[in-house]
Amino acid sequence: MKKALIVLEKEWLELRLQPTLLLATLILPPLITAFAVAGFFVVGKISSGVTLPATPLPPEFAGLSLLEIGQAIIGKQFSTLFLLLPIFIPSVLASYAIVGEKRERTLEPVLATPIQTWELLLGKILAALIPGLGITIASATVFVAGVLAFAVTDRVREIVVTPGWILAVLVDTPLLALIGVALIVVLSSRVNDPRTAQQISAVLVVPVLGLLFGQLAGVIVLGPALALGIGVILAIIAAVALWFATQLFQREVILTRWR
Amino acid sequence: MAHAIETHGLTRRFDGRVAVEGLSLTIEAGTVFGFLGPNGAGKTTTVRMLAALIAPTDGDAIVAGHVLGVDDTALRGSVGILTEQPGLYDRLSARQNLRYFARLYDLEPARADAQVERYLHLLELWDRRDEPVGTFSKGMRQKLAIARALLHEPSVVFLDEPTAALDPEASRTVRDFVKGLKAEGRTIFLTTHNLPEADELCDGIGIFQRRLLRMGSPAELRASLFGAGTVVRVVGDAARYVPVVRALTFVREARADGGTLTVQLDDPDLRNPDLVEALRGAGARIRYVERLQHSLEDVYMRLVAGHP
Repeated sequence: MKKALIVLEKEWLELRLQPTLLLATLILPPLITAFAVAGFFVVGKISSGVTLPATPLPPEFAGLSLLEIGQAIIGKQFSTLFLLLPIFIPSVLASYAIVGEKRERTLEPVLATPIQTWELLLGKILAALIPGLGITIASATVFVAGVLAFAVTDRVREIVVTPGWILAVLVDTPLLALIGVALIVVLSSRVNDPRTAQQISAVLVVPVLGLLFGQLAGVIVLGPALALGIGVILAIIAAVALWFATQLFQREVILTRWR
Repeated sequence: MAHAIETHGLTRRFDGRVAVEGLSLTIEAGTVFGFLGPNGAGKTTTVRMLAALIAPTDGDAIVAGHVLGVDDTALRGSVGILTEQPGLYDRLSARQNLRYFARLYDLEPARADAQVERYLHLLELWDRRDEPVGTFSKGMRQKLAIARALLHEPSVVFLDEPTAALDPEASRTVRDFVKGLKAEGRTIFLTTHNLPEADELCDGIGIFQRRLLRMGSPAELRASLFGAGTVVRVVGDAARYVPVVRALTFVREARADGGTLTVQLDDPDLRNPDLVEALRGAGARIRYVERLQHSLEDVYMRLVAGHP
């Protein structure tokens, strides 16, 4: 475990030396939060500017005023973005941490040390997961505070910040992020460009987008049961993905099969 | 003298293709062993097996006192390896690179810092210690990679092409450093295509092409392949003395090239006076008498390429 922390420390040191990557990656959650809270606030003030979408509204919007509907839609749309961010950020960081290391041919000297491959993998996974999840959860907390502060009524607060959404942020997205990182490890055995790995792993956002559109169309209601159910499925997928990743992230495999 | 490396029938196959076949060798502690062979001969695969990076398909080995496949983590902690590519983190400084690896080699922070400083000084990189490695020349990168292999003071060091693509000055620095390592009592397993370098540095040589073709000291290899000999330089054409020399019972072969007479004989130290006397008796005026020297390249070419 000690060596996993040494790896993590080195990863973050390298990350600090790439300010452009760091900024481009970690600026997104605060930026989105700022837009979300500002948009939420502004829509709450200028109801005349809001036009209702042509599609039928979700049943939970029944009986809301135009002002409330405007805020609820803005709040719902932005809240879903917090489910996407933890997939995006760790995938970018992991692709540089693993594919980048493969490209620079630094893996062999590392594997020649007494480190266990699981320690190396754990260090890299944690180095990618912690910043993304940390900043997303911090930004989501600010978003929740903004919603609680600026919502025009309690109904809007209840529609935007639901127990299902909170559970999804805390349980489902870390698992999705873990799947994303495991996918990057699997892809690392085949690609030599971090961007290629990122592009392929971006496929993970599709189910989250489905959730977003499903919610807006009123087809899906993200309640606690659904969030936990999704969490169970994601946990199984994450376990399988991690198993695959660990099979590919073996000294022997890396040195003889990774191309 | 104890053996630093001992292998028995070490074999590695990749999907049915044999990369290393039945390698059996012993390398004494404190010596430099040159492992020579053409590209694709299996040298890097052998080094990877001996450094416990990949497992052999068959056979066994003891490296630095550790049985391969039994406690590979401890084995990796006891050996140092300079990989074919330096493999350094370009954005990190020389010091940050070494400190990271020192910690991975289980050195406590204070000792890690001390070792990093020691090797940066030894390899003349101290002045550039805080600069990103991406700005380093090839020679500096190679020296840094060598330092990395030694941070934990391993008793056995694998150096894969340590002077490849280096300029003569940097190559000389690296060679001197290898001599220094030997003087410290370390065992060096050196793979190189630079045959004069191997001749200069190595106590033992293994010529390898998927399997071990021949092994011995450079002198033994020369003697076993070419025998001993003497070169006599005479005034005028040496061809006229060839029949005289061939008539001597201890001479195995003689040939002339201009004023040079090359004679292969069993024991030059004992027979050279008789050879000189016979030549003088035939009227030869002798300029020089020298030991016949075959280069390691001659040995290599004969074994690997089948050249005479």
